Amino acid sequence: MIEIRKLSRSFGNLVAVDNLDLDVENEIFGLLGPNGAGKSTTVMMLTTLLKPSSGTAKVCGYDIVKESKKVRSKISYVPQDMAVDRKLTGRENVQLYAKLYGIPDRNSKVEEVLEMMGLSDRANDLVATYSGGMRRRLELSQALVHEPEVLFLDEPTLGLDVSGRKKIWEHIRMLKAEGMTIFMTTHYLEEAEKYCNRVAIIDKGRIAVVGSPENLVSAIGKDASLNDVFLENVKTPEEQAGFNSTQFRNLLRRR
Amino acid sequence: MRAVFYYFERDLVKWLRGKVTVISSLVMPAAWLVFVGLALPTKFTDNYLEFITPGILVMTMLFSSLQGGSLMIFDKILGFLNKFLAMPSPRESILYGKILFISVRGMMQATVIFLMATVFGVRILNPVHIFLIYLTLFMFSVFFSALSTMIGLYLSDHDSYSAVNSMISMPLFFTSSALMPYDVMPSWLRILAKLNPVSYAIDSIRTIFEGGIPVQGLVGLAIGAGIMVLLGTYQFRKAFV
Repeated sequence: MIEIRKLSRSFGNLVAVDNLDLDVENEIFGLLGPNGAGKSTTVMMLTTLLKPSSGTAKVCGYDIVKESKKVRSKISYVPQDMAVDRKLTGRENVQLYAKLYGIPDRNSKVEEVLEMMGLSDRANDLVATYSGGMRRRLELSQALVHEPEVLFLDEPTLGLDVSGRKKIWEHIRMLKAEGMTIFMTTHYLEEAEKYCNRVAIIDKGRIAVVGSPENLVSAIGKDASLNDVFLENVKTPEEQAGFNSTQFRNLLRRR
Repeated sequence: MRAVFYYFERDLVKWLRGKVTVISSLVMPAAWLVFVGLALPTKFTDNYLEFITPGILVMTMLFSSLQGGSLMIFDKILGFLNKFLAMPSPRESILYGKILFISVRGMMQATVIFLMATVFGVRILNPVHIFLIYLTLFMFSVFFSALSTMIGLYLSDHDSYSAVNSMISMPLFFTSSALMPYDVMPSWLRILAKLNPVSYAIDSIRTIFEGGIPVQGLVGLAIGAGIMVLLGTYQFRKAFV
């Protein structure tokens, strides 16, 4: 579904994404990495919001630069900002997207996705009265209204409580079962380990490791978790700068 | 191009639901009309209200068009723009929707001024003239709302947007022919006023109020608005945020 070949993007001197090669099949794919690793930049290039500096990528067989409009008709993108109109009702928010996508049987489709996301009984309320979890599900409803083949989610569970996160993941699983490809970024490694079919850990714009969570974890050892895989592959800025915690502690004690 | 209407509808419904914004946008121009139009002791004309009404109409359109760029800024910083840009509908329809909403909102404000000016005794014109005035205001608004939306897309935070807005709106207004005719201006101001696109619209509307048809002014505004829309279309098509 997604083929990324030598994809790079730099902002001035900073190389955000560096010669990325990646193939994503019909699966739930998690892109993991520390803050500033290039996750969002990658997603924004794949959703045609950002031009690559070099390299190519194809989504659903269409080139993200030359056939960007075709790419956009196959995908949905939910950024991490929770951008839903507070002064519109839940239904109006979804209807806007159905109209913009030109959905033929608009009203019944809108009701269908609202029902699927469990928002039907609150659909007439203004979004200002919604909880964070409901807003996230509303965004998913908007994204699903045109039945995309690939769904891009940037931090879909960020800032949600435990039950809200669980609900979102159940919906993501259900969408996968219906044949949708989900490409997502997250910082919650336990969730990625549990729900993603495959994950890639990227650091400074390069892929450190890619594979199924089980394989990655068992390669590290017994009783390991994805957190260990992550720490193994990602150098923190402190380590990089040669930060010595013992020395620092001594320094503090002296004062 | 139906997307244009849907983007327009979104902004309109959101605006109408914020009652304070609606009331304030209608009170501000009315205050100008009353406190400046009726109060200023001028000597160059017997009926200052009639002189200043075109100026206030255009001023209202100018300020509301320039302020309209903040809609784009908010869509951008709140993440709406990224979602819209990732959709298959043409990207320039976001711009056209904004222009349409800002212009319609401005013309609603202008209608309030029109009605009040009529109550205060400004001559009522025939329908053709009223249509021409609205056409002038619309083209003027397209010019400046396209400009402000382009600035909104280019800048990335609200503070710098309002800085740019106040930097251009007040000088544009005070160097126009809104408040006084060219022959009482100091000569340095007269040169500026003649070059100012705002005076272009004001002079056209004054001509219409006097019963004439300002062909030159209408054509000029149409060309200006057309150029702005073309530039904006180009910028939005290229919008890799």
